[in-house]
Amino acid sequence: MSERTASLAVDIGGTFTDIVIARPDGAIGVRKVLTDREQPDRAVIAGVREILEQEGVAPSEVARVVHGTTLATNTVLERTGPPIAFVVTEGFGDLLHIGREARVEDDRYDLFFTAAEPPLPRSAVFELPERIGPRGDVVRPFDQDAAAALVQRVVASKPAAVAVCLLHSYANPAHERRIAALLEAALPAEVPVVCSCDVLPEMREYERASTTLVSSYVAPVMAGYLARLRRGLLDLGIDAPLHIMESSGGVMTAEVAARRAVATIESGGAAGVVAAAAIARRDGLERVLSFDMGGTTAKAGVVHNGVPRLTRDLHVGGKGSYGGRRAGTGMPVRIPVIDLAEVGVGGGSIAWLGPDGVLRVGPRSAGSEPGPACYGRGGTEPTVTDANLVLGYLDPDHFAGGAFGLDAEAAHRALHDHVAAPLGVDLAEAAWAVHDLVNANMASAIHVVTVQRGLDPRDHVPVAFGGAGPMHVIGVAERFGVGLVLAPDGGGVTSAMGMLDTDLTIEHSTTFVASLADLSVDELEAKHEALVASALELLGFPQAPPELVVERYADVRYRGQSHSLTVAAPPGDVNAVHDAFRRLFVQEFGVDRDAPTEISAVRVRLRLPVPRSDAVAITTPVASEPDAVVHSRLAHFGPASNGQFIETAVHRRDQLVPGAVLDGPAIVEGVVDTVVIPPRWRAVVDERRGLRIERT
Amino acid sequence: MPTSRRPTDALGAEILRHALRVAAEEASIVVVRSAHSTMIVEGADACAALLDATGRLVALSAATNLMHASSLRSSLPALIEDHPIDTMRPGDVFIMNDPFRGGIHANDLLVMRPIFAGGAVQWFSGTLIHVVDLGGVSAGGLAATATDVYAEGLQLPPVRLYDGGEPVQDMRRLLALNSRLPDRVMGDIEALVAGVNVLDARMTDLVERYGLDALREGIDAYIESTEKRMRDELARLPAGTYRGEYVIDNDGIDLDRALTVRVTVTIGDGQLADGTISLDFTGTDEQVLGAVNAGFSQALTGVHYAVRCFVDPTIPMNEGCFTPVHVHLPYGSLLNPRPPAACGGRVVSVCAAVEAILSALADAVPERAVAASSVIHPYTISGRGEDGTPFVLLSYEFGGVGGRYGLDGPDATGAYFLGGRNTVPQVEAVEASLPVIVERQGYAVDSGGPGRWRGGAGVETRIRMLGDGEIAVRSERVRFGPRGRRGGQDGLAGSQWIERAGTVVPVPARSVRVPVRAGEVFVLRTSGGGGLGDPFERDPEAVAADVAAQKVSREAAAEHYGVVLTASGEVDHDATAALRGAR
Repeated sequence: MSERTASLAVDIGGTFTDIVIARPDGAIGVRKVLTDREQPDRAVIAGVREILEQEGVAPSEVARVVHGTTLATNTVLERTGPPIAFVVTEGFGDLLHIGREARVEDDRYDLFFTAAEPPLPRSAVFELPERIGPRGDVVRPFDQDAAAALVQRVVASKPAAVAVCLLHSYANPAHERRIAALLEAALPAEVPVVCSCDVLPEMREYERASTTLVSSYVAPVMAGYLARLRRGLLDLGIDAPLHIMESSGGVMTAEVAARRAVATIESGGAAGVVAAAAIARRDGLERVLSFDMGGTTAKAGVVHNGVPRLTRDLHVGGKGSYGGRRAGTGMPVRIPVIDLAEVGVGGGSIAWLGPDGVLRVGPRSAGSEPGPACYGRGGTEPTVTDANLVLGYLDPDHFAGGAFGLDAEAAHRALHDHVAAPLGVDLAEAAWAVHDLVNANMASAIHVVTVQRGLDPRDHVPVAFGGAGPMHVIGVAERFGVGLVLAPDGGGVTSAMGMLDTDLTIEHSTTFVASLADLSVDELEAKHEALVASALELLGFPQAPPELVVERYADVRYRGQSHSLTVAAPPGDVNAVHDAFRRLFVQEFGVDRDAPTEISAVRVRLRLPVPRSDAVAITTPVASEPDAVVHSRLAHFGPASNGQFIETAVHRRDQLVPGAVLDGPAIVEGVVDTVVIPPRWRAVVDERRGLRIERT
Repeated sequence: MPTSRRPTDALGAEILRHALRVAAEEASIVVVRSAHSTMIVEGADACAALLDATGRLVALSAATNLMHASSLRSSLPALIEDHPIDTMRPGDVFIMNDPFRGGIHANDLLVMRPIFAGGAVQWFSGTLIHVVDLGGVSAGGLAATATDVYAEGLQLPPVRLYDGGEPVQDMRRLLALNSRLPDRVMGDIEALVAGVNVLDARMTDLVERYGLDALREGIDAYIESTEKRMRDELARLPAGTYRGEYVIDNDGIDLDRALTVRVTVTIGDGQLADGTISLDFTGTDEQVLGAVNAGFSQALTGVHYAVRCFVDPTIPMNEGCFTPVHVHLPYGSLLNPRPPAACGGRVVSVCAAVEAILSALADAVPERAVAASSVIHPYTISGRGEDGTPFVLLSYEFGGVGGRYGLDGPDATGAYFLGGRNTVPQVEAVEASLPVIVERQGYAVDSGGPGRWRGGAGVETRIRMLGDGEIAVRSERVRFGPRGRRGGQDGLAGSQWIERAGTVVPVPARSVRVPVRAGEVFVLRTSGGGGLGDPFERDPEAVAADVAAQKVSREAAAEHYGVVLTASGEVDHDATAALRGAR
């Protein structure tokens, strides 16, 4: 039997499923297949089979499979989960249905606005007579007879999962544990009972209930999907551990992911930032912006000192700008997620004219079916990809690693009919306007994760990837006055490559309110230790493995505030926590206040490093002419080329040698991406065929 | 970075609009995240607005409270009147709250900063939130029984908070001394200042990118195109003159006297739709002693909100929306009172104005008919904790929205411009900071007005006191439930009471300092929305679903809807047909 040293990573996007293999010899192979919207694992298994053949790797050589998926998010967005039951304290059966929906933007003027319902009918909610007080005291004892009757009714409703959220269970989980034990004893073994005290032991019942409910709702879906995926891999002969990306940038074993499914809610988006973080660490860059633009969305995230920024304020299906993170819309899921700003623009986004005759792009996307007009699969509306083709950035005969040819005529027709003709401008001007508007949209996302967090984007180096990212990054950088960007090799599959660089990670937290001035070192230490113990239990470790890395944090606020900031709280120094908070507060809000502070929650993050292969460079050949400078073609760069098409050199990424200098205008075609270098920018090739592009 | 594309053409315009919205949005985020006010700690949004030097609204933050937005727009003329533009210096920041000059009431503080470019004031950035406390007879600003503006808190004409970038210490001391919670109110004010400063910086960036002239042109084009969209939409409404009115319970002082808001809506010139609309409130009752009068900026909120409900909701909110809308608010009336009218409870009159307009326009556009909705029910619970420290909870609950043509009214959501329920404090947070136990928070059964399209349900909240305290309430539509329309029945009127030693003690709808002792239960029940259409025409399956969801009782299903259910909750079609036929 051969040595197990190959790693596979699979990233499912709205248009493409990307597969990357780190081969035993350090080479990296890549493969893109169209996403299967119906049953995503089918495309995954097909793509894995293809890449193994392509790279000549035996299934038995695979030591690890890492996977990121938007399945959990989509299940909530599309309400495709199974019937579930929800158990709550008596008097609060309407908690989730009454909800806390805000009305924002257009909704405010819509007399016919109706908020989305929670993913279960009111008749699936069961009220339990009991009451715990805010300090953990029993206000109303657990009623054994009422509980038994409730269990009977829950069982009769035949749920696929049960969520339990009792008031103040973060302070005392005893009642939740008792009812969960009774439910587990009465329900079939495959029906998970999810307690809010395990998922989110923090104050504020609505967010806790919502997070718990989402966790139970996606659990059966995730468990079924992962079982299918596992079977498919086994059929191919791959029996390596299956690791699932979790939302804060680590991975979980598939077994933990099925139980703690809510942690996978942003599984799809996290990997790109992780990849940018790995590049930042490798290149010694202190401040990096990940810039990930695929077929349907573009995402921006911030990496400082090699670590992605996290947030705990996600709203699934939320309305409002920038990826539904507006509080009060959608279902809150309070778990640590990589702080991403998302805008609904990607290569597949459709360009259209608003009622005022003004050009707009997105949020509607042509997706993988029918796809952009140039895909020749029936799409007739112009997309960003069509505009980029018209501008000369894409080669019709070489797209997505040569997966299929592009129909330039269809792109021209779509853009002409829907944008250029109605506005009375020529095709190139229309195409440039679409391209430029996308850059502006993307700039908004970067604005959210930088300027709005008190960070200056000019201090950051954008790392561009995703199928469309390297075509747009310089246009976006120019909007902020950023003069240096990176375009790593394999930009079209960078997110998948990021998955190869992940450790097993878990976060636990609990509400704990205490004045920082009065808090003792021992008290804080005890709180953190208890959290570490419970996290290890979930991971299935009887004691801490020697390589375990534990990070301790505290949520801190000025007394009287409601919003807290999370700061590192290393053991042994409570004053340092206060100081760190004050520094962060200045950074976030520009206000320095010398006022009393308090802790509102404590957290730990556990990280267990995973051995990884030391992959070097992509070896999958680029499917075009074999010369370093293949040829040249005409391309249009807006004002930078005086609104004209100009002769532009076209390079093959796999023919580039380290140290080579490419002066713009130039286009670099890789196996899965295309980098556009406008006039007055210059790229230098690094050892891994990444491009370091600077303004001249 | 300069760009060769001017922002005025159709290809580049969206980019500029984007930047303006993002700038306002950022300002509002900065205010929310650094503020201390109890009103916004649970997630409410702050208002941030960009206005130009002629007072035109240019851009708003996305989730802005419309009452606040209207106030910023209406207050700028007062600022310029007291401080002519040529006397302003870079770094000046002003603060104000005068309800007779565009403000709302004492606790809603406006902060404005002139934005300089090319050596002159080009724009103003404004922010507004409900601050934690600024004096008056009731902590937190709920002066439900105030009979003049003096009882509602510290009044502020437009005055400098920063003078050329330097804090005006006298002003800060004055503000702090007039608050029950000086540290927190000053924290709120600093948050407002941080917001206007951010917007100022963003506009400076945009001037750099576009150049001042091109930016001004781009803004003009933005407002003009919005106005054109607004006129196009208004021109689609059927020309004519329509009348509406709505009745207010009372002013909380003279309890037997109901008050009426009346409106005449004229689309076009009455004969021909020409892209304008006029709303004349002549006939509206005169201002009253109780605090239900609305400063004119607040009345305008209701008017513009209601009009916007009949046009494309995606039209951006800027000056272009206001220009084709002509409003007359008689001076000395409920909707434009003279000083020193008490204005803190203005929501009552504003919501009545909204209902009157919706009622008038429902005659013009029957397929957009909506029955009347509940109005926000604010309350405070205050007292001293075991250790003697004072506590104040300012909270509120929403009731049902009226049934809509083709759709039921939403349950327990903020009606209209007031946003959503996301800002209501959560039970665990309340119990952790106050000596109370919230025993129940759920739909009030049978509160939604029966109709072919049912009114939304109200909410019942039961709060048991663990220590002695006092409560204040300010409820409306609790004497007359929200009105049904076209055969729909009224929503159940809200109510509030104290359960004391086995007896139910009603609490007047507008009252302050009602003592409530340990062990007693304060119950607040919000109104249900009015029903739309004959309830006997409601789909029996929808009635069965309401019963399953515990929003409608079996008895009410039979009595109001003529729907009979089997023991297992299914529709008994024969019995239903018989019952419905017998009417």
